[in-house]
This record gives sequence, structure tokens and C-alpha cells, in this order.
Amino acid sequence: MSQRNRIALVYFLTLGGILLCVGIIFLAPYLKSRGSGLNAFAYLFFAPTCHQIPARSICFFGHPLAVCARCLGIYIGFLGGMGIYALRRGFSAVAMPKVRTLILVTFPLILDALGNLFHLWNAPHWLRFLTGILWGSILPFYFITGVADFFIQKKRLKAGRPENIS
Amino acid sequence: MNEQRTLTLTPALIGGVLVGILSGIPLVNCLCCLWIIGGAMLASYLLIKDSTARLTSSDGAIIGVFTGIVAAVVKTVVELIMTPLNKRFFQGLMERFAEYMEEMPPGLEEMFDESAFETTVPRILIGLLMSGIIFSALGALGGIIGISLFQKKPPQPPQGAPNVPENTGNRQP
Repeated sequence: MSQRNRIALVYFLTLGGILLCVGIIFLAPYLKSRGSGLNAFAYLFFAPTCHQIPARSICFFGHPLAVCARCLGIYIGFLGGMGIYALRRGFSAVAMPKVRTLILVTFPLILDALGNLFHLWNAPHWLRFLTGILWGSILPFYFITGVADFFIQKKRLKAGRPENIS
Repeated sequence: MNEQRTLTLTPALIGGVLVGILSGIPLVNCLCCLWIIGGAMLASYLLIKDSTARLTSSDGAIIGVFTGIVAAVVKTVVELIMTPLNKRFFQGLMERFAEYMEEMPPGLEEMFDESAFETTVPRILIGLLMSGIIFSALGALGGIIGISLFQKKPPQPPQGAPNVPENTGNRQP
């Protein structure tokens, strides 16, 4: 399999994964509204990584989503970032974003999170959502780069070539 | 290569144990996925510090996955230990709310009802499996970001020497 095809495979598998995650986020309250017991599994899926506090979550079909507003922004941002990745990078090569770009998109999220944590302010849903989207949009550039690089390096090792030659 | 594989586990263990403990403690775990990403970044930093070889983003992904798996196991153990304490703590909290507030914040009672503190074996195993999957993915992400942030820049070649192409562990110019 060529390098381009490997990168494309990683991209589309990641796209499938994030679509599944976003689907489950919205499916959870829908299932709850229909009285289905399966909603518990949907909420449980995100329980390890989100506090799921109802007051900090956007409602859908009358029930809170499976994640809070900030986490929803991160997942939606990741999905949007996948589109940006395909347009900007394509599948010919992988490279990490610049550090200053990461700092720029991370700073609002960290500032807002710390402000809420220390009760300096209580940010509305839309602000948490937006800071999450901003940060989430850069994550595919790291994730796809690293995972694709893993498979490219693995192929090189099998072919008997040294690891650090691009 | 063997030396690098040996080094990979210790930073992952340190990062994973730290994150697992923090993720399992109530109230402290409110930073959600940022704990696991931070823990994997710490593991990457420790790996870079201990490694003489130049690391790539795939090394970050691997150590991040290991960190996530360790964190998931430790978190499950911490939650099992903390569950009786959590139950007493949150029941006390609910009683205080009832004394001082006319109306409960929406969803709060539901969040802390009896079912939230059940520790059946299937629930524990499903929770561990789901934690493992999500923490591994987030750990990989954190590990890759960590390599990008903490990797030292390659030494500049002396003037007149040919340029060596950079590997994918480096940022684009």
C-alpha cells in the first residue's frame, strides 16, 4: 500500500470514528426521550471523559446531550477540522502544525476552563462551545499525522529501511 | 530499538497512574479529557528527556496509547475505592442543597441518585472497556502533541554541509 493510500485510510477511519462519536452524543438524549434503556450505554460511553453535568450541557429532545457544551464543541470542532485537513493537506504527506498555532487555539479554552474552575466567571454554553470548537479544529492535524506516521514507519521497518529517513 | 522500547513503558506508567488518580477523584475530574491529554503530554516529555534518539510523532502516539490504557485501569480502581465515599459525600451535599435551596438545579437529583453509585461487575467491565478505548485515543493525541511541543529542534548543519530532510516528527517550516 502506498504512503498516500495509508494516509487516506487513516483519514477515513478517523472520520468514521468522529462521526460515530458525534452520532452517539446526539443519539443519547433521543433514546432517552423515547424511553429506550440503550441511552444508558450512550451516556456511559462518554462518562470517562466528561463530567456530563446537565446544567453545563445543551439539551436535545428535552434531555442533556451525552457531553457538556465544551466537549461538544471539541468533537464538532474535530469534525470540522477533518474537512479543513483534507482541503489543506490532502493525503500526499503528513506534517505537524506550528506550535504557535496550537498555543493560539488552546489559550481561549484553557483561560475559560480555569476561570470557571476558580469561579471567576460562569461562562454561557455558547462560549464554552466556541472555545471547544476552536481547539478541536486543530486536533485532526496532530492525530492523523501521528497515526499515519506510525503505519509509515512500520512499513519502513518491515522493508528494512532505517526509521528516521522521510 | 530495544532500549527505546524499555524506556517507553516507564513514562507511560508515570503519566497513566497520575492521570488515572486525578480522573477518578470526584470534583478534581471536572477537567474532562484534558487530564488524559495532559498526562500523555507528560509521558512524551519524560520519554524525550530519557531518549538519546530523535523521536517521531508515531512514538508519541504509541506512548500516548500506553498512557491511556494505564490511566483507564488506575481510574477504574480509584473509582471502586472512592464509590462508598462518593455516595456519602454527595448524599450529604444533596441534603445541604435541600436545606438552602427551594428548587434543585435541573438534573442534579437524577445525577446523584442510587443508580449512579452502582458497582456491579458488568458495569465495571463495560466502564473499563470504554475508558480504555477513549483514553487510548485521547492519549495518542496527547502523546503526539507532546512530541511536537517538547521535541528539541535538530541541530543546524554547519555552513556548507548538505541539508538533511526532516522526518514527520517535525513541524512544517
